Amino acid sequence: MSLPIITIDRVRIFPPRMTDFSRRFWRSLAVGTFETTRCEACGLYSFPPKPFCPHCWSKQIVWSLLSGQGRLYSQTVIHAAPAAFMAEVPYRVGIVDLDENVRVATRILADEEPRLDGPVEIVGLKYLDGPLFAARPVK
Amino acid sequence: MTKNVAIIGAAALPVRKWQRPPDSETDVLEHESLAQVVFEAVKMAGVEKRDIASLAFANPRPYTQQKYFATFIANYLRLPCTGSVAEILGNGMTGALSFEAASNDIRLGRARVALALGVNFESATPAIEHMMNSMKATGDVDFHAPFGFTPISWYAMDAARYIHEFNSSRRELASVAVKNRRHAAMNPIAQLRKPITLEEVLAQKPIVEPLGLFEVPPRGDGAACIVLADEEVARASGKPYVRVRGRGFFHEGAHQINEVPNDMIALVSAQTAGEAAYREAGVTAADIDLAELYAPCTIIEVLASEALQLCPRGQGARLCAEGYTSIGGKVPIAPSGGLQSRGHPAHVTPLYSFLEIFEQLTGRAGERQVGDARLAVTSAELGNYNAALVHVLEGVR
Repeated sequence: MSLPIITIDRVRIFPPRMTDFSRRFWRSLAVGTFETTRCEACGLYSFPPKPFCPHCWSKQIVWSLLSGQGRLYSQTVIHAAPAAFMAEVPYRVGIVDLDENVRVATRILADEEPRLDGPVEIVGLKYLDGPLFAARPVK
Repeated sequence: MTKNVAIIGAAALPVRKWQRPPDSETDVLEHESLAQVVFEAVKMAGVEKRDIASLAFANPRPYTQQKYFATFIANYLRLPCTGSVAEILGNGMTGALSFEAASNDIRLGRARVALALGVNFESATPAIEHMMNSMKATGDVDFHAPFGFTPISWYAMDAARYIHEFNSSRRELASVAVKNRRHAAMNPIAQLRKPITLEEVLAQKPIVEPLGLFEVPPRGDGAACIVLADEEVARASGKPYVRVRGRGFFHEGAHQINEVPNDMIALVSAQTAGEAAYREAGVTAADIDLAELYAPCTIIEVLASEALQLCPRGQGARLCAEGYTSIGGKVPIAPSGGLQSRGHPAHVTPLYSFLEIFEQLTGRAGERQVGDARLAVTSAELGNYNAALVHVLEGVR
């Protein structure tokens, strides 16, 4: 399943670092594929993706596609931000529980206050220098 | 030696913006300020310089120019030690971990008297610059920081969730700030002492919604020293002291959020550490007379009070609004004024909690004295209460 992608005409403010391992996550995200690692031994997902299972320490992990669908667990609007982000205030961030029982924290794209426990979807953000992701309420 | 830990002296700088702007001709420096606090605490304890065997120093934030401060202060005070000298770090829990390190040397018989001390000066660095650092401490640098999360944004999300789940309101949460300011008005070392009304709290500019300026901690500088001793030393003094009755620790193995969805606002670390501390002390939450909790934002005081069973789940905010946690109420919380009003010199904040409990349990708290105060609980935390360190303390008079 491919994520909707929103193009943003500037570079990322605080770009994530990539490792030989995590490169796959960011490369996939850039083409609209949202995936993370899942343990073949215990079946649990990890987020962020990890080269081992943090739950049972098995090394038997596989990359697994995430639906990008979930529920908004909580959210806030940040008015006092670190210097690098001051140009963006106020901005909304939140915590999303994905359908695969994975919790992620990310930007929330919503002009009005979204309802907690309401459905949200992950979207890909295509900046000039690489990808990020965000979530938005499903209408 | 009994190898039971007692607090026999405590002192701290009033929490203020002590640091001067970078272009000032003179500065206020950490070691000069801390030395005065050490002298005051040791004098109160009635021990001699040669009795002190360990220095457990809370690591200052990076803005302190003098590095390896523990050994520097050992030199500044010419204080040879046979127990240990160490600089201790654990984010917001730092001061409480230094208290633990000093306690451990007493429990192990390595010291009869040990100092838990520290200084945290940072106010000359603007908040927006400071947050460039702190956003990397309270989240994953690669998977959270790129979105612009700030330390208190996690607490704000606790607040939104609490209001949603328990049908509470910002108004109820804001009552914590009013109550804490009322307490701080009676505390000479508090940073903000002018009483405020609920309407004033609600009218402040938003910082992280739903929290406004008065519902988050001000930035400030401080220094504190707690004198710990084997209980035998405390008894011999003939003066009131505080006995460490129980402690509990728990780290939930998560950083800010749990990747497997959980009940984020249950503060499982505070629940677990609290139960362990009560069990070791042989008490229940119902026995506790007052609490001094690590709670940077109003919502966190509410959540920690519930996790430590001082208030029923989902009712902490309402009970605060009704006066239950005020001095004079059933279980006074943050009689010092708490982090919003007493102030929050980050790494030494937990030492200020021990100071307040020492003053309360030895009857030194003046007009903010909690009546019949015998048993108290303190907490310290890091992240979004991903870890908690809880102490149960008893006054011995």
